[in-house]
Amino acid sequence: MATSVLLACGLNEQKLPGFVHISEESNVDGSFLISCILGQRLRISNAGTLLVCLQHHYQHYFNAGMRLGYNTNIFRGKTLGVIDVLSDMAVEGLASKWLRNSEGQTLTEQLVEDIRAQVESNYASRNSYTVLIDNLSILFNLGASKLQVQQFCQDLAALAKERDNLTVITKLSNSDIYQLTDNNVAKLGQVRIQVLRLKSGVFREVDGKLLIERVLDEGNYACEETRKEVLYKVNDRNVKVFTPGEIGVKV
Amino acid sequence: MTSFRKKAVTKPIRGTRTSPHTAQVITSSGNPYLDVVIGGGLPMSSICLIEEDRFMTHAKVLAKYFLAEGVLSKQEIFLGSLDDIPAEMLRRLPKPLTELETEVEQREDQAHGAGGAENGLRIAWRYNDLPLVNSEHATAKIGHHFNLMEQMDSMMLYYANTTMWDDSHKETLWDIVVAEELSKSSSATTSSLEHQPVEEAPPIPGEETTPQEKIPAQEESSANNNNNNNNNSSSVTSSTKTGSQEAQPQVFHNPRYGGLLNDIQDLLRDESFVAGTKKNLCRVCLTSLGSPLWYDEHFGEDLIKFLTLLMASVRNCNAVCLITMPMHLIAKYDASLVPKIRQLVDYAIELESFAGSERETHPAFKEYSGLLHLHKMSALNTLAVHMPDTTDLAFKLRRKKFVIEKFHLPPELQESSAKPDNCISGLLSNSNATASLDF
Repeated sequence: MATSVLLACGLNEQKLPGFVHISEESNVDGSFLISCILGQRLRISNAGTLLVCLQHHYQHYFNAGMRLGYNTNIFRGKTLGVIDVLSDMAVEGLASKWLRNSEGQTLTEQLVEDIRAQVESNYASRNSYTVLIDNLSILFNLGASKLQVQQFCQDLAALAKERDNLTVITKLSNSDIYQLTDNNVAKLGQVRIQVLRLKSGVFREVDGKLLIERVLDEGNYACEETRKEVLYKVNDRNVKVFTPGEIGVKV
Repeated sequence: MTSFRKKAVTKPIRGTRTSPHTAQVITSSGNPYLDVVIGGGLPMSSICLIEEDRFMTHAKVLAKYFLAEGVLSKQEIFLGSLDDIPAEMLRRLPKPLTELETEVEQREDQAHGAGGAENGLRIAWRYNDLPLVNSEHATAKIGHHFNLMEQMDSMMLYYANTTMWDDSHKETLWDIVVAEELSKSSSATTSSLEHQPVEEAPPIPGEETTPQEKIPAQEESSANNNNNNNNNSSSVTSSTKTGSQEAQPQVFHNPRYGGLLNDIQDLLRDESFVAGTKKNLCRVCLTSLGSPLWYDEHFGEDLIKFLTLLMASVRNCNAVCLITMPMHLIAKYDASLVPKIRQLVDYAIELESFAGSERETHPAFKEYSGLLHLHKMSALNTLAVHMPDTTDLAFKLRRKKFVIEKFHLPPELQESSAKPDNCISGLLSNSNATASLDF
């Protein structure tokens, strides 16, 4: 289903790097990566996962998961925790806690607090724990400043460093617009996946390109890193990857 | 004891069906050609953005189709606009075609196609079998056909569940309908309507007037519809709403966004639109959102926040939303707003009209009124998104209907060694074609 794309990204292992960042270019949809990673984490026994829904509702991930062959509802409340910010804003309206600075706390501070509380209560009983945040750009939309978003990611990276087997995975849309924040957030982690559109236009058999950058050894003066480029196609029930040159125009 | 269980067949919401490709519940956009392009219809809880053409003629037509489909499917309608008068816009909705008229129209189209082929294609005669308009081969079973030349019957609108927002107290559709009915002196109808306005309590002094205007004609049409509670208690709704608005913190710098969002959220919170209940569908239509009338110092910030909250609300219930925006003006205000806005909608469709441009008189484009660009189609509640056969699409506004077709150049009947014009070559080749290919 999604093994090939996770294999290409190096995210198919039980133990993931502490901080992974997904950059999504404008007019490209990289939500399938979150669904793929979520499915992989849920399949590992006794691995906890926290899904922070900022761009899509939980229901979207449930439906996408069913297409990929897993049922999130079975895991919800057990190994899967959900912070559905969107649903809360829809139900509470303008009185939602995410829209007002209660007790002088900003949106990002409240979110960090909620994530921290979830990690505190679940981490001890799990072999590993993964926090998935589906779109940081929504925080900008809701009024957070660049500094606040940067601080938010640094807090999460610090959380990952404090604990073994804790992974934080973030995604940022419109990375070409928020370039500074995108680069700064990517620097916090070891793996950066860029979801890019095809420069040459729209092609029926390929949806876009994944550029995977991985820091192997960060020395005092030199930094060794690998770069890998694959093409991807999201189908109805799976995601296929191709190496550049493998697929071409059929005449 | 057997494990056999009889499958419970749930009745779908009026005007919706399940897509066989994505298993999503979809509803018609009102225009059968647009439905085909987006994979059968708009998925439930999706937002479709129509990027307006310069003279705002074609985007409005699509908005009217969207609203007319809602009226015909007996769905709840919310129409908000600052630039247009919502009541006036509703009054000018296109008239639905009867089944017989639709059949006749389709037959005429086929005959026109066959006739043209008989005269023209003698060598490549096998192409005669292909439909003239490719996008029309899959007729949407959920949609209706409309005639743009004629207006919808006022009695049809009278029974529609409609909520309007224009940020001021203007003449409602109700008033217009009643005035028309009175002029027709249809005593039976007017006598039953006359007592209705009395039920509308006058605005409470000291309170700001609610921008929401409810057509008070719904109680007869659907007594079981809970939304019709607004009918006899519009003043109560307004007073409570005003109270709640006062208590709420200021989320937007421009209070209009707050007012509009409050009205939409109040409507969508109704239990008939709760996701999974399959009772009714709400169509939210916002025209010319982000036009200069919305401008202020924090325009971009407020607009993006509004769209984010609107997305949250629409995703949480049985609703579809169609927004038209003057994107060419927004791009001039701040170019970075364009991708941010497109990211917050599920479908972003740009209508590039030829009106006023050099292409208007160009022989290559004489068949069309403009080009249709699909900027975004996102996968909502599924993994993969439906992609149309081609993304090179053009539209034409005929007398009776709005048609979307595959874009094609006319046949070159005279041989000429002259190079094609820049505008055509620019269309057919990608601007980045000189850059290296990805594969």
